[in-house]
This record gives sequence, C-alpha cells and structure tokens, in this order.
Amino acid sequence: MAQHTVTMIPGEGTGPEICEAVRMVIDASGVDIRWEYEEIGLDCLDQHGTLLPDKTIQSIAKNKVALKGPTTTPVGTGHKSANVTLRKVFDLYANVRPAKLIPVVKRPWDHIDILNFRENTEDSYAAIEHMVSDEVAQCLKVITWPGSYRIADFAFQWAQTHGRKKVYCVHKANIMKMTDGLFMDAFKEAAKKYPDIETGDVIVDNCCMQLVRNPAQFDCLVLPNLYGDIITDLCAGLVGGLGFAPGANVGDNCAIFEAVHGSAPKYAGLKKVNPSAVLISGIMMLRWLKEEQAANLIEKSMFAVLDEKKHVTYDVGGTAKTDEYAQAIVDKMGVMAGK
Amino acid sequence: MNFTAEAIKTKKKKTAKLVGIDVYIITEEGIPQFKEFGPFKCEFISNRGTKVWPGYVSPDLLMVNWYRCRFMATKDIQDADVTTFLEQFGQKWWWSAVQKLWTYDGEAGYSKAY
Ligand SMILES: NC(=O)c1ccc[n+]([C@@H]2O[C@H](COP(=O)([O-])OP(=O)(O)OC[C@H]3O[C@@H](n4cnc5c(N)ncnc54)[C@H](O)[C@@H]3O)[C@@H](O)[C@H]2O)c1
Repeated sequence: MAQHTVTMIPGEGTGPEICEAVRMVIDASGVDIRWEYEEIGLDCLDQHGTLLPDKTIQSIAKNKVALKGPTTTPVGTGHKSANVTLRKVFDLYANVRPAKLIPVVKRPWDHIDILNFRENTEDSYAAIEHMVSDEVAQCLKVITWPGSYRIADFAFQWAQTHGRKKVYCVHKANIMKMTDGLFMDAFKEAAKKYPDIETGDVIVDNCCMQLVRNPAQFDCLVLPNLYGDIITDLCAGLVGGLGFAPGANVGDNCAIFEAVHGSAPKYAGLKKVNPSAVLISGIMMLRWLKEEQAANLIEKSMFAVLDEKKHVTYDVGGTAKTDEYAQAIVDKMGVMAGK
Repeated sequence: MNFTAEAIKTKKKKTAKLVGIDVYIITEEGIPQFKEFGPFKCEFISNRGTKVWPGYVSPDLLMVNWYRCRFMATKDIQDADVTTFLEQFGQKWWWSAVQKLWTYDGEAGYSKAY
C-alpha cells in the first residue's frame, strides 16, 4: 500500500479539536498516512512574527497535499487572512465545494447535488484597496483571461471525469460588462472543448433565487471568487449547514483540503462542533490520493452513524461531543470492514 | 428627513499625508527589478494581487503582464516628487496607472499585498 505524507494544519478556534477527531477516523480507515503537523494563523504571528511561517510553506511545497482546519481572521483592519495567503502563494485557483444532501439531515429537499467551482485567486480578493480620498474607499476587482479560462477548463474537465452533465457560469455581466464579461467569455471559449456537456449561464442574483426555490435544477457551477464565496455558503445552508460543507483548494500541482466553515471561536475547547465538514474534506483528499476504498468506508460509516442519530453533534439534534461522534464512526468502520 | 443631508453632516475630515505610490505597469519581461528612484524605494510587487517580490514565488504561479509596484517614500515627499518619478520611470517602464498612497490621520489608506 502506498504511504502518503500529508501536511496537517489544525488551525485555530475549534480547528484543533476537529482535526484530532478527523485524524482519528482517517487513521482507522486503513490508509497509510504520515502526518506532518504545521501551523498558520494568529498564534504564529505572536510567536514567529508571521501568519504563515516558512516552515509551513516548505512542508506543503514538499508534500503537495494538506488537510487544514479553519483559522481566525479579524474583521476590518488588522491582518490579512492566512487562508487567502495560502491559496495565493500556492496558486490554488480552483475551490471545489460540493453541496450534496446528507441522509438524515433535516431539509425541505429530496435532491441536491451541486458542484461549485469557485475561482480562488482573483476578483475583489486581489487585495488592491485604497482610500482614494478621506471619504472614498475603492477596491479593484481584478479578472484576467487566463485566470478565468483555467477555472472553467478545470471545471469542465472535472465534470467530464465525474460523469456530470451540465456546467453553468454564474456572473453579473449585465452590469460589470468588462470584468464579469471577460469571465464569461473565457468560460464560453473553454466550453468549446467539451461539446458533450450542456453549458449555459445564470446571473448571480437570479441564481440565488433559483437555488432557494429549486436547487435540483443545478449540476456544476463556475463562479468568480466573491460570488463563489457567498453562493457556496448558501448551498451549505441548503444541505444541512456548515457542519457538512467540505471543500478543496486545488492548483496544478498541489491541493489543500478544508471545510467551508470558519473557526467558530465561541465553541473553542468545548468539543461541541461537528467535524463532518472537515472529515468529508478528508474523504475528498483520500479520493485525490486514489484511496477510494478508505474513502468509501469512512463515508458509509459516517452516514450510518448519522442515520442512527445516537452519536451526533448538537447541530443535527444530538448531544455527542466532537470526539464521541468520531469514535462512533471508527467503531462503525470496524463493524463494516469486518462484514 | 433628508438622509443625504444627514449623511453629509457626519463626514469626518482627515489629514492626508502622501507617503508613496502604487504604479501599475505592463511588461512581458517577467517580474521587474527596480533601482531606487530618488526618494522612492520599491517595497513589493504583486501580480493579480499575489506578492511576487520579495519572498517565495510558487513555480506554478499564473502571472499576467500587469504588475502593481509599490514605491514608498524614504523621506518627506510632495506631489511634485511623483511627477519627477514618473518622468524618469516612464523612460524605462510602460505604466498604465498610478495611485497615490496616503495616510489619513496617520492611518494607512492602502492595503498590503498577499
Ligand atoms: N477557511 C477558513 O479558515 C475560514 C472560513 C470562514 C471563516 N473563517 C474565520 O472564522 C472565524 C469565525 O467566523 P464566523 O463566525 O463568521 O464563521 P464560522 O463558520 O466559524 O461560524 C458560523 C456559525 O456556524 C456554525 N458552525 C460553524 N462550523 C460549525 C461546525 N463545524 N459544527 C457546527 N456548527 C458550526 C456555528 O454555529 C457558528 O457560530 C472568523 O475569524 C473568520 O474569518 C475562516
């Protein structure tokens, strides 16, 4: 069996307790992973004078794959997000965020299986902001042709290899004719390479309304950074909340897997939060590493534990602690693997 | 109530001090290297908002032909210094836009690069 070395970044707030639980489950799945623990975030700033230490960068550059817990970013003034820095430094341009209904989670829908491909490095996240006078702030929204083309191409390619049928571009090109217009033009150009996949576009405001009314109509969505940020949280809400929304940040040679949610600091240390989102991100990572068998085992066991409702966390109506839920999955894997 | 008039009343005037410039340039020659230009010294260069100088640059990084170059003043400067800078700078580099950087009541009115 192949051995993998994976950089583990436990993060801040509830991150470390979630990552411990997730590691326990993954280790019990039979894969051979050597975890290299590294840090990022505000504690690093205090200790090493930087949010993103060189050692962490070197570790990810070497291993080319990382699993990451959430970090805390102060709002408004203060420091840059260590997260965004990480995505930019490694040019992880594709933020893949599946929104798929999980059995048992209460929701009004029978079917949701949406794959969001969020451009992860440009747009108003380019961090080019100025106070251009003492009463006017300005943020440059940067959209480039190659940046837009590659996320569309990536999404079509992913859709094709995963048997998906439709890929749609989400934009506001009716208003932002240059920036979103360029994004959509590049999307259409990339689409030409995939004649078997149905394509189209939807304006972002309409997309929100449609998602809430009839999410089953959507398959794969390609989005610029900011719309992608917002729409993927909306999708998380549709499928059972942030506790179940996983993600991957993928570049041409490197991938960092992390949940959509943040560090939920008010619950830090209480072992209360749901580790499923990070665990499903870990399952995505195992598939990325071609460890399909372990990934399936964890997924099935997790669904079974959720289905039984005995050992689930508060957000799905249970009282289990983070690690109790993880232990229940480990126990279930033992039973399932033994079958 | 006239909300527009109300809003205008709440404006707070601040004292602006010129401390540098962001110069946007177009070049096909890769990451530029700069000498010092009079009272201006290059602090960082970013491409698509990602810092490409100084520090680590991923070999995979997508770059376009448009760079933001931040020049900070090494001493007190006036608007005329920016004009002089652009005359010299423009002989070698093709710039698309310039944004003056000010502090307002001592607080930076510009973001750092990632
Ligand atoms: N990728 C990241 O590291 C990332 C992403 C988003 C936000 N953040 C940061 O996290 C901090 C907190 O942000 P926030 O409060 O806006 O968002 P958050 O996602 O941390 O929390 C929002 C709410 O969602 C619920 N929630 C989140 N994760 C959960 C889980 N695993 N199980 C159960 N419930 C969960 C909680 O009720 C929480 O109060 C901020 O500093 C923010 O910048 C980091």
